[in-house]
Parts: sequence; C-alpha cells; structure tokens
Amino acid sequence: MSAGPLDAYRIRAEPYYLALADEVSLFEAAYAARLPVMLKGPTGCGKTRFVQHMAWRLRKPLLTVACNEEMSASDLLGRYLLEDGATRWQDGPLTIAARFGALCYLDEVVEARQDTLVVIHPLTDDRRLLSLPARSEALQAHPEFQLVVSHNPGYQSALKDLKPSTKQRFGAIEFDYPARAQEIEILVHETALAQDLAERLVSVAEAARRLKGHGLDEGISTRMLVHAGSLIRQGIGAEAACQMALVRPLTDDQDLILALNASVRACL
Amino acid sequence: MPLTHTASDGSEQQLFCGPTSFVRALWGFDVRVRALPARANEFIPRRPRFVASNLWLPASPLLGVPGSFSDYLFAACAHISAHLRFGAPRFLIKSLKPAQIAIISLLEDARVERLAVAHYPGLKRLWAPYYEARADGVKTSWSLLSRLARALHDDAYVDDDAWVNKGRQLFSEGRAEWHDSSWCRHIGSALGNDLGQMRVQFNAKDYTVEPAYRDDNLGLWQFEREQIEDGTQLESEGVRRVESDVSSPKQRERGEPEAASLLEGSSERASSLRPKATTEVESVARYPEWDYVIGRERPAFCSVKERPVVPGDAARVATALARYAPARKRLERSALRLADRRPLQVRRLLDGDRLDLPAAIETIVAHASETRTDQRVYRRVRFQSEPPALLLLLDLSESLNAVPANTTSTLLELAHSASALLATSLASVAGDLAIHGFSSNGRHDVGYYRFKDFDEAYDDRARARLAGMRAGLSTRLGAALRHAGRALAVRDSRRKLLLVVTDGEPSDIDVHDPKYLEFDAKQATVSNRRLGVNSYCVGLDANAQECVARIFGVGNYSLLDQLESLPQRIAQLYLRLSA
Repeated sequence: MSAGPLDAYRIRAEPYYLALADEVSLFEAAYAARLPVMLKGPTGCGKTRFVQHMAWRLRKPLLTVACNEEMSASDLLGRYLLEDGATRWQDGPLTIAARFGALCYLDEVVEARQDTLVVIHPLTDDRRLLSLPARSEALQAHPEFQLVVSHNPGYQSALKDLKPSTKQRFGAIEFDYPARAQEIEILVHETALAQDLAERLVSVAEAARRLKGHGLDEGISTRMLVHAGSLIRQGIGAEAACQMALVRPLTDDQDLILALNASVRACL
Repeated sequence: MPLTHTASDGSEQQLFCGPTSFVRALWGFDVRVRALPARANEFIPRRPRFVASNLWLPASPLLGVPGSFSDYLFAACAHISAHLRFGAPRFLIKSLKPAQIAIISLLEDARVERLAVAHYPGLKRLWAPYYEARADGVKTSWSLLSRLARALHDDAYVDDDAWVNKGRQLFSEGRAEWHDSSWCRHIGSALGNDLGQMRVQFNAKDYTVEPAYRDDNLGLWQFEREQIEDGTQLESEGVRRVESDVSSPKQRERGEPEAASLLEGSSERASSLRPKATTEVESVARYPEWDYVIGRERPAFCSVKERPVVPGDAARVATALARYAPARKRLERSALRLADRRPLQVRRLLDGDRLDLPAAIETIVAHASETRTDQRVYRRVRFQSEPPALLLLLDLSESLNAVPANTTSTLLELAHSASALLATSLASVAGDLAIHGFSSNGRHDVGYYRFKDFDEAYDDRARARLAGMRAGLSTRLGAALRHAGRALAVRDSRRKLLLVVTDGEPSDIDVHDPKYLEFDAKQATVSNRRLGVNSYCVGLDANAQECVARIFGVGNYSLLDQLESLPQRIAQLYLRLSA
C-alpha cells in the first residue's frame, strides 16, 4: 500500500452494493490480471457505486474523472503550475493513479473527445506505460494501478462511440437494472422506506421501463427510485415524490407524462 | 394538458397516445385505441368498447361523468386492459337470458378488476370516483346491478338489499376461484334466476353498464351470429387495413364517418392537380411507413421519386432578395465566422492545459518587481463548433399557393425567398447546405426535388432551379423526412440539421386517418435522430402547434405569426442552431 498522495482517495467505510450476479468475482479476477475493465449499462443502474464498492473491497484508492467534451489530455495527465515565480508540475488524476497505484475510473468515457482518449492506449496494454510529453517522462504504471471506464451504449447516437482500438483494450461487464426483489432490497436499504412502499415504487419503475423504445429513451433508473424514496422520507406524499423524481425528469412529451402519471397512480 | 383539444375552427382532434402508453406500461402489451363513432341518438349513454385488443373510447366527455375527461379515459383503459390481461376466451351465450348475461358480465368485470388491483393497488382509486350507486331509492334491475357493482368494488360500502348482499357474499366466498372466469358464469346464472324470482324486470334495451368507465361487455361474449354492428368484427381479425390504396369497401365500413367524405374530396382535388406534376423521374427510393394502429412499420411502403426541377428565371431570385438586404449582410458576416473552423487558442486563463508563456513571464517579472501580479497564465485550445450540415426541407403542397392574411406574397414566394436568402448568405459554407422540397400524391408517388444539393456551388443553375419552385398536391411528411434524413446522414459533419418548413398537418389522398401520417412523421423524426440527424420545424400555421409539437418534440419547433418574416427567421434559426 502506498501512503501519502493517495490518502484522500481511500474509501474508509463500505459503500453499500448488492451483487446482482457474478460481477464482483469477475471484477476481482480482472483486477488480479490487471485487465482494464469497462462497465456497460443504462444510466443510474449502479455502475459508479459498484466501482466504489470494488475499490473498498480491494483496499485500493479510487480516482474518478467525469468525462466531457471539453476535457483535454492535460486534464488527465497533469500540468505545470506557476508558484512564486517558478513552475511546478502537478500530476493529473490519471497520472496520480498510475504513479502511486490506484484505481482510476473514467465515468461516461464516450463523452471525451476521441483524440483525448488515445493517451490511455499505452497504459492499457501490456506496456502499462503513461507518457507525459510536457514533462518528457514515460511513467511505468505502478503494479497496483488499474483503469476502469463506464459507458452507456443506450442513448449514444451513432456519432458517439468509442474507437474499436480503444474498446478492445477492455474487458466488459454488462449491467442492467436489478431484478425486482433485489431492487426492492436496494431501495429499502438506501432510503429506509417501508417494504410495501418500496415494492410499489419498483412497480412504477417496471411500468416505465416497458415504455423504453415506445417513446422513452431510458426507463426509470434505480437511482431515480432512490431519489423518490428520499423525497418520501422527507415527508413528501408518494404521488408528488414520484412526479418530481420519476416522471418529470424522464420526458417532456405531454401524452407520456399523462400515461406515466396514471401508471404512478395505478401502482401506489 | 387535456387529451382532447379543440382547435380554433372547432374541430376536435384526439390522440389516444397516453392511454396506449399507459396500457403498455401496466402490462407490457399494445392495444389499438380509436375514437368511438359519434351516435345520433344520445338517449342511451355510450360506453367504451373493446374487441380483442381494439379499443374504442369516447372522443368527448360523456354526460354526467365526474372528474376530468383524461382521468376517465385512463380509468376505462385500465378496466379494459384488465379484461385483456386476466380474461378468458369469450363466453358463449347458449341459453342465457339477458339479465344473466348482464350479471355474468358484471361479475367478470369485478373479477378481472380484483386481479388487476392485486398487481396495481392504486387502480382501485382510479376507478373509485365513478361508483355513484346508493343503497336507497327504487329497486330496478339497473339500480340493483349498479349497487352490486359497487358492493363488489368497495368493501366499506353498506347495502341493505338481500340480493346485493348475496351477490357480494358469493363473490367473496369464491375468492379461490377468481382465476377462473367460468366460475362467474355459475354464480351469475344463479343470481339472474333470483332476480327473476324477485319479479324485477330486466330490459336489455335500456340497460347501460355502470359505472361509466366500464366497457359495454360486447368484447366478453361470443355471439352466434357474430354481428356486433358497424363492422367491428373486421377489426378483430388482427390486421386493420387492407393494403389497397384508395377506396376499399371494407374501409368504408370501418365506422369512421369522416373517412368516406374525406376520400371523395381529396381524390377529386388530386386528379385536377395531377397534370401539373412532372412525369420524368430520376430515381426511386422505397421507405417504410409507421402504422401506429398495428404499432409496426410497413416495410417498403412509400416510394420517394426524385424529379428534376424545371428551371425558372434566375433573375427572379435577385428581385426577391433585394427586400432582405440588411438580414443578408448580418447573415453573411456570421457565416464567415462559422466557416473559420480552426481551433482557437484561448490565452490568459486562470486554468488551462499549458502555461501561456508571455503571460507567465509578465507575471514573474511583476512578482520580482513586487507589483500586482496577474494569475491568469494559462492557455487552452478550444475546438470550434463546426457549422452543421443543414438541409432545408420545404413542404411544397398545394396550400403553399395560398396568400396568408396580412401578406402580399404567397407562402411559396416566402419559402422561395427564404431559400434564396439562406443560400446566398451561406456561400462561404455552401458545401454544407442543401435545399430540397417535396410534395406527394399517394404513397407511391412522393415527389422530391433538389434545388441546391450538398457540395454544389450556389450558382446560376441553382438559382434557376430555385426560381422554378412550384407547389401542389399533398404532404406525406414522413417519407420525405426519411429521404432527407438519409441524404444528411452520409455527411461527415459532426452535427446534422434537418430544418423543415411546413404549413400544417401531414396529409395525403390515400390516408383518411389524420393521426396516421402524424405518427409516421414522428417515427421518421425518431429514426432520423438515430442516424444522428436532428430535426427542427418552422410551422407556418399557428393552429398546427399541437401537431407540430408532437411530431418534432417540445423545443424542436417554432411557429411563425408574422409570415412575412419567414426568410429572416430561417436565417436567424440557422445561426442559433449552429452556435
């Protein structure tokens, strides 16, 4: 275990995660082989929580980067700072993870520009090398370093996809919304709702998921259910909470809003 | 928003999109919802109807039904979908008397509702407002049946009638049999006999199902002669529409009163227009069409025919443009800026990729000389947003020949000026601009015209083609959207924008259901989005808002009040959408 720079990124308490299938053992095996991992699945189904949980389980620090179009290579690698008339190099999150041995998690990796992502190529094959041109340094990754990315294939248009050369460096774990019983268990754990109410909220989500591809791009996610549950815990009525956390964020289509509201009323 | 809206001309338009989605959300299957044909005799209250997965719902609020109309539609849908989910094959009438049929239907209604409520407890509250029966007044067969319906629905309801209570008791004692609909037949027959012995008259003709959200029970029974009136059995066969073009006798029986009259009018109009259409065809593309009733695409259903444009007088374009000189200047300047696609170096930032060396040196000097230092010492490369590939798609149907109120030009002339203004001003990015138009004459003949194509200079030939723009025939929007979407999808720009100018609802001579082409156009927009093509609509008819919003989505359209300003508006839109 390395000390110092990574302390802030250690996860002390166990993040709650309910294993849905064999994803925990798959991830552990991938980590043991230092195989970079791609987590695929719809938004809000628990990919980020899973990474946090695995980092805790493996006792490794975790650095998370939310990717976006404006992100440049130096946002990952690092840059020079000007301090007291002199320059000082500051490692970026990917460099810190590679230098000191941590998990680096690139969330929604397709959002980054493709030319930014090529910096991870030498790092994700057997060279495990990170090149820092601004510093003229070729950094050999720490043996405990691992790269994890997430990717939601659902709503990306044909324009936004990873290059095959990027994709093929990863092993992938597929996620989906939890099965009914598991989702109820998660909801009860996260929001301390009564079992009965949790069951009804999950019914709402199941109803909305049947409309995916029939007007909705994405169904109601587990995260949205947790939001609804938290609102109910704050004393909001169940129907109002569902409207705020489940229906309104999902669609602007008036007919679908009516249908979803009726479904909410049918479930509660 | 209510499901029904009344347009300014008083005509009503229904879209049962919400109820269809609702049923899908609840049970995962699709139903086809249509408006219940209006009836001349309104003495007998109407009820929803279903036959297999075909639903007919009232198109306007029923008299004396409480609550909002949209709540009522959802309640009715929930009830019918419970039949579809938990019902069995239709009952055979055999020797049953009318009273027994009514009671068995009532028990079956209660049975499927109980099973549905076990899945979705909230359904009970959805239905509750419509139970109005009270345990007083004259005991007619109608009032007793209404009271029984309420007793089976609401455990807290108290009734003093022995027959109602017997029915309630038999129903709840049979809890274990609820999965089996033939059980309803047994206790229903018995209760019917009791009613007969009580000397309560049952008149099948005056009988109306209560509460009002329930269907008229026709879908529960197999009639020996299978005559359900107005040809509904045709619908239950599974396929709605015979794939013929215009006048199939079966379509006339479909119970859509407006269909026949619409048919006559539009085919007359089309034949008078037909000679105007150019007959030369350059290429034909076949596209599917979405049929919302069957919830599927009909493959290779429409033929889009590319036709050459007969050139007009190019000088006409210049005259039309003279009016828009100021707008043109503004637009040209913006287009020049857009054409410059080099990445920008943004300097003097607080945070960035690299040190901005001149700024850094200044800061160090300032620091050394102990004056105020500026911490903005970084630079960053900003990638410019490229101009989108833009396809301006003009609806060139007959209605464009109209001269709208408060204007001196026809809509066609305005569309023409708009195209010319856009093409002239965007000369610097001309390769990314295309101007196409369409008009249709039935599904086999969707004419498609390219006035200016991508990668083509805006020269005299293009100007002559613009001047040759003509309007006529109908608007089969979906097919044209698909064709334009394909043309855009192959461009290698990062953003692809389809700007549609249309004057209202899609329509065509071989389609009588106004919703049909609207749903198809919506589907075409969705499938274009999957190809990376975003659509935006400029509506020329402020009354068509609902329709345009449904096709293109909230926020993806604007409506013009001042039609004269169409050319400027198109130009502004382009700039806004490219920024």
